[in-house]
Amino acid sequence: MTAASSSLPPGFEELEGFVSYWVLDSNDQRRAARSTAEMDDIQRFYDAIVARAEQAIVHCEQFTLGQMPPASERLFKLLLAMNHAAIAVEMHGEPRAFDSTWPSAVRITQGPWPHGGRI
Amino acid sequence: MSAVIEKPAQTPNAGRHVIDEQSFTHAAGLSTGPVSVEPYRSPAFFELERERVFKRAWLCIGRVEQLPQENAYFVKDLEIWKASVLVTRGKNNKIRAFHNVCSHRGNLVVNQTCGVAERLVCRYHNWQYRNDGELIGVPDQKHFFDLDKKTCGLTPISCEVWEGFIFLNHQSKPEVSLAEFLGPFGTRYAGIPYFNLDETIVIQADFKANWKLIADAFAEPYHVPSLHPATLAPGFAHPEQNRYARPLSAMAHGIHRHFSAYGNPDYVPAPTSKVEQLVYVQDTGGVLGGDDSGNAAALTAHPAINPTKDRSWSADVTWIFPNFNIDYSTGGFWTHEFWPVAHNRTQWTLKIYIPKTMSIRHRLQLEHYACRWAEVVLEDVTNCERIQRGLESGAKDTMILQDAEMLIRHSLHVLDKWVKADHVADALS
Repeated sequence: MTAASSSLPPGFEELEGFVSYWVLDSNDQRRAARSTAEMDDIQRFYDAIVARAEQAIVHCEQFTLGQMPPASERLFKLLLAMNHAAIAVEMHGEPRAFDSTWPSAVRITQGPWPHGGRI
Repeated sequence: MSAVIEKPAQTPNAGRHVIDEQSFTHAAGLSTGPVSVEPYRSPAFFELERERVFKRAWLCIGRVEQLPQENAYFVKDLEIWKASVLVTRGKNNKIRAFHNVCSHRGNLVVNQTCGVAERLVCRYHNWQYRNDGELIGVPDQKHFFDLDKKTCGLTPISCEVWEGFIFLNHQSKPEVSLAEFLGPFGTRYAGIPYFNLDETIVIQADFKANWKLIADAFAEPYHVPSLHPATLAPGFAHPEQNRYARPLSAMAHGIHRHFSAYGNPDYVPAPTSKVEQLVYVQDTGGVLGGDDSGNAAALTAHPAINPTKDRSWSADVTWIFPNFNIDYSTGGFWTHEFWPVAHNRTQWTLKIYIPKTMSIRHRLQLEHYACRWAEVVLEDVTNCERIQRGLESGAKDTMILQDAEMLIRHSLHVLDKWVKADHVADALS
């Protein structure tokens, strides 16, 4: 991909600003990204992706799991990261559990296929 | 509103949930006084646990699916034994375990965590073993002195399988069989249908607390409303009907034990929880759900599962002495291994068995499921490290347990027996 402005499928350009931080390869990386982000940034990402989630899901459903074109796969990874943003927004009202320590000893060493990752 | 709501009714499925007020602690024949915290902070007690519990009990180290074909193997480090263990599936699908140590100069033979091989080679001097442990190749053998290969195989470890779970025993001739060790638990929990065995979410932590603190965390739901207010409480407690998440049942089964967790049958994601709503409009249900109703129906029909057959059931936690949990819910099952490293350090592995990803929406649900779990355990691990500091300060010599914490009391009772008993048979009685 040569220009960041074209890294997502047509129609999803408004999410481009979230690609560099939230498009990640594993469950554990997405969790770490959310846990170390500022709440304002998590909320901004959450609001933007939730507003487009249904259309993004329908777009990704055109393809076989694990065999998406790169632009669609990036969009799918944004949807995966949406779940992590939801933990902060819908459960805690802060980036991670109240009173929890970070960095944490807890790691997701194997996530669901695809893009779950394995440590 | 108190958790004590009313006397048990005769029609458990009608109307509001009724909490059974029989004492789990009395029913298990346990005392009710404060318990010592020395087992959580004493290095001397830890060494007793190593020698008298972990080197005499049968320990679960995995499932048969980790050896998916003939000649498959895996290696597991057991810090509590200070050992590297090699588990193999040989000819005729026989599962064996060995110390992963070469007979020549004591090096570790296999350095991969898993694989498929009929022959295993120590790369120090290329001594070769078959996966049944026999030494079959020694380079430049003629320059050894009276070497008898037949006596130089890998050192076997006692290995038995129950319901697909692989157990090892450190004793070269175990004092009791696995069936005797499992006792009434082994028969009561036999025949449970296990499903989704090929895919797992794995969450691990290596942290600074005694192994029993994290085991205790999963042994009582009394802490759910306070420690897990957002991640678990909405699904596992109820502001009026079961405010303190009192278990539906809690019982000892010989040296093992279980409790059945309450589930809020009316739970739905809050209207503001847009993502949770989005990912739970599925063929699956429940806060910790992950599978379809057909599998759940077969599971809940088993007499050991949710033994009171309460409609407000969410999950059963079973704790196989000393350090293994198998937990069952409508969404499938998961296991905990609590491995002691030191009196104040633990390596813990949670394996959650999940269905194969079927669709985009299903994959999003699994992501939500995994990250909810990780958040729950972050709350627990953080908490355990704090408790360890509190206990090691010496401020308190005892802790006070309520009825819903019966499993912890039973764990300490059994542990005490094992530490004191000179023979395993005495510890089982």
